[in-house]
Amino acid sequence: MNKLSYVVKNTFINMRRNPLLVIATMLAVLVSSFLVFTTLSGRAVVENNTSRWQNGVHVVIFLDDRVTTTAHKQLQDSLESYPEVRMVDYFSKAEATEEFKFLFKDQPELVQEVDFEILPSSLRVNLNDPSDYQLIIERMEGNPAVKEIRASGEAIDRLLSLTNTLVISASVFAVLIAFAAFILIINTLRLTAYAKRREIKIMKTLGASSTYIRLPFIFEAIFESLVGTSVAIGFGWGVIQYSKGSVIAESIFDITISDTYLINLTLGLILCSILFGLVASFIGIRKALNE
Amino acid sequence: MIKLENVSLVFQGGSVALSNVTTSISEGEFVYLIGPSGSGKSSFLKLLYKEYFATKGKIEVVDMDITSLPKWKIPVLRRKLGIVAQEPQLLEDRTTFENISFALEILGYDSREIEQKTSTLIDLVELHESVYKFPYQLSGGEQTRVSIARALASNPLLLLCDEPTGNLDPDLSTQIVTLLEKINRAGTTVLMATHDSSIVNRRKKRVLQLKDGKLLSDVDQGRYI
Repeated sequence: MNKLSYVVKNTFINMRRNPLLVIATMLAVLVSSFLVFTTLSGRAVVENNTSRWQNGVHVVIFLDDRVTTTAHKQLQDSLESYPEVRMVDYFSKAEATEEFKFLFKDQPELVQEVDFEILPSSLRVNLNDPSDYQLIIERMEGNPAVKEIRASGEAIDRLLSLTNTLVISASVFAVLIAFAAFILIINTLRLTAYAKRREIKIMKTLGASSTYIRLPFIFEAIFESLVGTSVAIGFGWGVIQYSKGSVIAESIFDITISDTYLINLTLGLILCSILFGLVASFIGIRKALNE
Repeated sequence: MIKLENVSLVFQGGSVALSNVTTSISEGEFVYLIGPSGSGKSSFLKLLYKEYFATKGKIEVVDMDITSLPKWKIPVLRRKLGIVAQEPQLLEDRTTFENISFALEILGYDSREIEQKTSTLIDLVELHESVYKFPYQLSGGEQTRVSIARALASNPLLLLCDEPTGNLDPDLSTQIVTLLEKINRAGTTVLMATHDSSIVNRRKKRVLQLKDGKLLSDVDQGRYI
């Protein structure tokens, strides 16, 4: 018990020696952890949305209304015979009109101006594997019943590619800041160890074990790392809650992210921050102990 | 208590600190280790508490074969020893009481025991009037006393003193040696390195003399020649 109080007391004494460095370290850990938290959460949100989109319509084939409905029916039959296709829905001009009116119900002027005759009927194709959309496009191209083909896969691919680029960029940035935080922790500990070199020497002479001498430094590194990470996680949760009620959430993205994912991410980050502090403290104090 | 068999210590670069030293010291003895500067006195002591590692030979200290003692066991050895250096190495921001209690804190005593034991140690080294003084307010002799009290915190079986009177005037040196003899009479074996001939010649104790890393003589009630 006395040893524990010694360790705790000395952890805070050590931190009081270099308050600015301690704050800088915590801030660096905070920024790095916040980037990791928001990047991973953001990716999960995008994946949730794209997966929802991928479960919907993958290819829309707009039909040429000059061609007979028999030709449309034959096209639907031939599409349904493809093994890649799960389901094909025929969407008539009337249904297209209803959909348009629903989508633009907030803009009555637009609805009044539009000539609904130009809205084509279409076949809406759902694929077993959304990535096969290109195959369907190739097969349908040149068919006289087909006016135009649109695939959601293209947009999803672009979005995922953009998301991946953002995730990679943010991850590289997070790693760089984490590295800076790592160096800051090591430097803070080295400065403290230098200031306490006489005390460490006396402790070694008196028979204190390396672990015992190391403990206040380990506690300090873990404490700094944990505080930075915890605040970052708090901000991260706050950002997610705020985003749920934001314009983006209402118009483009459904900001849904499971609590289990967030809890796992939080626990993972906390565990990482403990390991981070441990490794940094071992490196930071190694030299002082070997002198 | 201490046993050395053909012990040599050669530093990197080839300089020889100790060469084929063989000797032993029994429990309860008070032994002076003498010799000029650079003769190997400090190296001899540092080998005993594993600050240095012997290049050759066998060493036993307080019934432990420390020849190939793993690093993690060194603290176990040091807890059985008391080590007093020439420089008292006190913590400048702590009082006499705190400098002594610091050792007890490290050894894991609870606060009540620390208070009691620190007071006992202060009585032993006769520092009642300097309990709340900081090192810069103490004389050289008083600082050495604090350092001795701190070394005694673990109730050591063996006290290793590396020229504790090196920076003191003759009167203070005598007081320190008297204190060490008092500690020795209480049962602690004392090995004291010194090049102060007046102390050695007056005290008539066993004397180990080193020169150029070799054990030149080992004489009971010896003199510094």
